[in-house]
Amino acid sequence: MNNNSVLTFIIKKVIRFTSLLFALCALSFVLISNSPIDPVKAYIGADMMNVGPEQRAKIEQYWGLDKPAHEQFLSWASAVARGDLGDSKIYRRPVIEIISERFAASLLLMGTAWTISGILGFILGIVSAVKKGSWIDKVIKWYCFVLASTPTFWLGLLLLIVFVVWLGILPIGLAVPAGVLKTDVTLADKLMHFILPALTLSILGVANMAMHTRTKLIEVLNSDYVLFAKARGESDWEIVKNHGIRNIALPAITLQFAYFGELFGGSILAEKIFSYPGLGSAITEAGLRADVPLLLGIVLFSAIFVFSGNLIADILYKVVDPRMRGISAS
Amino acid sequence: MRKFQAGLLAVVFLLTSILLGGCKQNSSDINESSTQRPKDELLLAIGSEPEGGFDPINGWGRYGSPLFQSTLLKRDQNMDIVMDLAKAYEVSEDSLSWTVIIREDVKFSDGSNLTSDDVVFTYDTLLNSASSIDMTFMESVEKIDDYTIKFNLKTPRSTFISNLVATGIVPKNLYSGEYYQNPIGSGPFILKQWDKGQQIIVESNPLYYGQKPQFNKITFLFLEEDAAFAAAKAGQIDMTSIPPSYASQKIEGMKIVEVDSVDNRGIMFPVVKSNEVDSDSSPVGNDVTADKAIREALNIAVDRQEIVDGVLEGYGTAAHSICEGLPWWNEETVIEDGNIDMAKKVLADSGWIDLDSDGYLEKDSVKAEFNLVYPSGDQLRQSLAMVVSDMVKPIGIKINIEAKTWDEIEGVLHKDAILMGWGSHDPLEMYNVYSSNMKGIEWYNPGYYENKKVDEYMDKALQAKTEEEANEYWKKAQWDGETGLSGKGDVPWVWLVNRSHIYLMKDNLDIGSPQIQPHGHGWPLTSNIEQWKWID
Repeated sequence: MNNNSVLTFIIKKVIRFTSLLFALCALSFVLISNSPIDPVKAYIGADMMNVGPEQRAKIEQYWGLDKPAHEQFLSWASAVARGDLGDSKIYRRPVIEIISERFAASLLLMGTAWTISGILGFILGIVSAVKKGSWIDKVIKWYCFVLASTPTFWLGLLLLIVFVVWLGILPIGLAVPAGVLKTDVTLADKLMHFILPALTLSILGVANMAMHTRTKLIEVLNSDYVLFAKARGESDWEIVKNHGIRNIALPAITLQFAYFGELFGGSILAEKIFSYPGLGSAITEAGLRADVPLLLGIVLFSAIFVFSGNLIADILYKVVDPRMRGISAS
Repeated sequence: MRKFQAGLLAVVFLLTSILLGGCKQNSSDINESSTQRPKDELLLAIGSEPEGGFDPINGWGRYGSPLFQSTLLKRDQNMDIVMDLAKAYEVSEDSLSWTVIIREDVKFSDGSNLTSDDVVFTYDTLLNSASSIDMTFMESVEKIDDYTIKFNLKTPRSTFISNLVATGIVPKNLYSGEYYQNPIGSGPFILKQWDKGQQIIVESNPLYYGQKPQFNKITFLFLEEDAAFAAAKAGQIDMTSIPPSYASQKIEGMKIVEVDSVDNRGIMFPVVKSNEVDSDSSPVGNDVTADKAIREALNIAVDRQEIVDGVLEGYGTAAHSICEGLPWWNEETVIEDGNIDMAKKVLADSGWIDLDSDGYLEKDSVKAEFNLVYPSGDQLRQSLAMVVSDMVKPIGIKINIEAKTWDEIEGVLHKDAILMGWGSHDPLEMYNVYSSNMKGIEWYNPGYYENKKVDEYMDKALQAKTEEEANEYWKKAQWDGETGLSGKGDVPWVWLVNRSHIYLMKDNLDIGSPQIQPHGHGWPLTSNIEQWKWID
């Protein structure tokens, strides 16, 4: 790879990224402003009865809702360009503060689930492919099919009932022990609270990876060069090591990084069930109550997150596969 | 191949051991915390997290105890007004100004004195804030001396007293943008820690001037309904609120406490004929429900107790008024219901006859048929709508039930019957729902109800100088012997049930006698938190 091609690569990505962000924000804004949810009503909620037209006008003015939609969007966009994401309507404090506070928790959760499900899925996929047709393959396949059709919240509730209610060995939800002051919270405490949400997310992520890896590896194992390798007397393990993993690494990487987006969605549900204070609960609230600045902030943030997932995959291709490097240099 | 199996086994073994190892250690932790939690601590999952934090200016503490702040006045368990920060208050002859004298011995939890400056500051900030608290009826608030404050209103308003009950006083010198998470006040508790999205931990305020709570430390967890119930089952919390459908499950060591409420549900009817009122937005009026006989027959025909037993599983009371059980409720609004014959007679007398013998009545070629709309996703209201439509079939009224989102409901609000619910500790609600001044404004009086006599009573109630006097007028507005806004009078609404709030709590926890609860679970229960204790 020479410098020129690296530069083109970066420029292309930057252009694509900014246009993506802009389009995404504009689209989200149009969607929210055309949604039937009345943000003022959603904000006032149960107190609806005691707010008259005069106070309502005051709230609208405070939020800038009295201006036309395109003006609202432009003023938001120009503030964002200056690095100011605005204030959340429902939380009444800066969006950036809420996101950074919550993203740390979500990131840890998603990171763990991502790693565990990726590795476990890859291993299970390989085992299942090599042992195609055996009982172990059947068990893994059964497990994956069941999981692939299991909604996150249902699995979460199931784990909750088993580990918290029946066995009584794990704490209920939250990220810290109930009623314990920060100074007394230990790392072990945090870990215990982390297990259930992370487990829920990890278990679910396995299915996808395992099944794709399995299919791809079976394809490879049926190829002529594997037949030739067998003829040469290579053992199963050697075949997988020398021919299999190399060939299935690329799709696995694509899948694993593309999973960033799905992971985000899954974590929202898992966090909701376990009252885990991540971005999940914030985005649900923001959506349901038409908190435009917060919702757009999170959309922006998740777009960056998913985009970087794909970007990393793109870069890894070139690192992993010498052929790709060849193509980009030519 | 064998290597693979060995590898797989190793992975499985590793995972299991991590899980079990972790679990073992933790199981002892949990057992310790549930058995050894000190006697003066409490772990609750009853309210949802106030996103705007604990700042009364943003709406914190309007119902129940503001915990960290205290209010000028309070309502006791019988809903009577009692003094809190205030020593006395007086309403001027023209009812336009209220003078409040406050105690001189009150300190904020940082040790500084609470004076009239703080009260003036609190109300001034509220007046100018674009929050969900409407103070637009207030002209100004002024300091008379260090412990006397004068509120000036734009129009007479006896319900201003509800604002004095609901608004926690914030310290002028300590109020800042960070106040929402650092709420220093003069209330019974101090906010010790707030893990956002998870819990707050509060501790008893040693400088509190009132009756000290029995618990030194209370933790409020913010859990989803299912998670909270699971936590109760696992013995990890002392109290949680539950829906009626969970109440049949027995949990060892815990009891179910039912708290009465004015959290009511009823049917709102458009009471004008279509085309009677011009409107540039959504259509107004309904030719069937505009006939009083239809509404009256419906009011008599429904069997409220049966609804309470069937739909609420017994956890509720029959509702005949918007404010059942509150001091301004007129007890005469209670009627004998479930009377099909009587309902039939009312309809027949007014000329409703089944002309085409299809089981439903007609009058002047209009069929006794209307839409009843409930918000989609609300199971309780859906069941209520279905039960009511079944109950009135025998008297020849056809109700088509429809589910719509709140935003869709806004479009049919003035022409269809809607299953709605109110229930506030502020009598102003009655004015908003029934006054002809409020026709079609926001969600107030969507049915365009108007009765001059009722308006007159309610205006007098607002102008009254004492709550007792106001209550007399509020009662007359409901029913004065001849007319009124209740089911005995014009029947603009048919009230059905008040849903009780159900709490699951440890057998030996005593929460005293809580106030009748308003619309909304959780925080309102804390209004008598100083009475809560363990019983041996």
